[in-house]
Amino acid sequence: MTDLQALILALLQGVSELFPVSSLGHTILVPALLHWTNVDRSNPTFLAFVVVLHLGTALALIAYYRARWWSIARALFTSLVRGRISQDRDERIGWLLVVGTIPVGILGVLFEQPVRALFGSPAPAALFLAFNGLVMFAGEGLRRRQLADPARADRPIEHMNFAQSVLVGIAQSFALLPGISRSGASMVAGLLCDLDHEDAAEFSFLLATPVIFAAALLETRYLVAPDTHVVLFQAIAGGVAAAIAAYCSVAFLMRYFKTNDLRPFGWYCVIVGVGCFILSKRGLLS
Amino acid sequence: MKPLALLLAVVFFVLGGLYGFGTINFLTKSGTEHSHHVSHLVLCWVLALLCLIWYRFQSNPAR
Repeated sequence: MTDLQALILALLQGVSELFPVSSLGHTILVPALLHWTNVDRSNPTFLAFVVVLHLGTALALIAYYRARWWSIARALFTSLVRGRISQDRDERIGWLLVVGTIPVGILGVLFEQPVRALFGSPAPAALFLAFNGLVMFAGEGLRRRQLADPARADRPIEHMNFAQSVLVGIAQSFALLPGISRSGASMVAGLLCDLDHEDAAEFSFLLATPVIFAAALLETRYLVAPDTHVVLFQAIAGGVAAAIAAYCSVAFLMRYFKTNDLRPFGWYCVIVGVGCFILSKRGLLS
Repeated sequence: MKPLALLLAVVFFVLGGLYGFGTINFLTKSGTEHSHHVSHLVLCWVLALLCLIWYRFQSNPAR
């Protein structure tokens, strides 16, 4: 892998992990589109590189929400000592995040490897990316229908119940499939739980943080693989680039979702997914 | 629900130990890859910890 390829992959990871367009799908499709046959996704040195990119992304999310995470951690500790969950906002959000992380933790550990072995090639990734776009359109359609119902109104994150948090967590688990976006799926689920776009995005990013961080920590064994020093510079530079890209992405998206919805990302996913699927069927993706 | 929480905590703790020692390989990538067992061990012990937290919340008399 060249330095330029490493930089492009790092920026791609940092941006597409948080934009609702599937980072895994893009890290499969972009090298295939650019015919990067020298990038071996199963090579331990490449996996070490990916671990550092994920760590960079997770640290960027923690940095962006540092005040929120600090207050959530304090609230969780307080409720543990008290032995009861109060109506405090940070406490409620903290336990909603804990409960919402359980499904993706279980499903991720049990099924990540077989799912990626089965679908980790360009054609399925392209199809799932197009499907991801359709899911976002469907989510927006259902939300508009909800808003038309006078009995339902937007509510803040802390008013979600634990069942709804589990639902968002299960939706997030679909991101194990290359092409399905973690943030897209969890945002659509959040919208269906009566969150507005801004709160759905915030809950999605908060929910993604421990998952990305834990996934990277569980893969740290690749960092001590025999040939890791070969990609040491690329990994460090890539991790920093991914962190900067992720920080800018989350800052942009939180501003974007104050007034906008998921449909532009839906169009992007459908067009790119269908286009890449056609190219792969014609043998133009390597 | 208190006994259930405690029972689940014990079950997950033991299950994690069995994965850690490689005694069971159910739903691991391969029967021999140690690192994959570690992730199952961590998952089981985290679930055991969450069950203990659940037990703690059930135990509070002020609830």
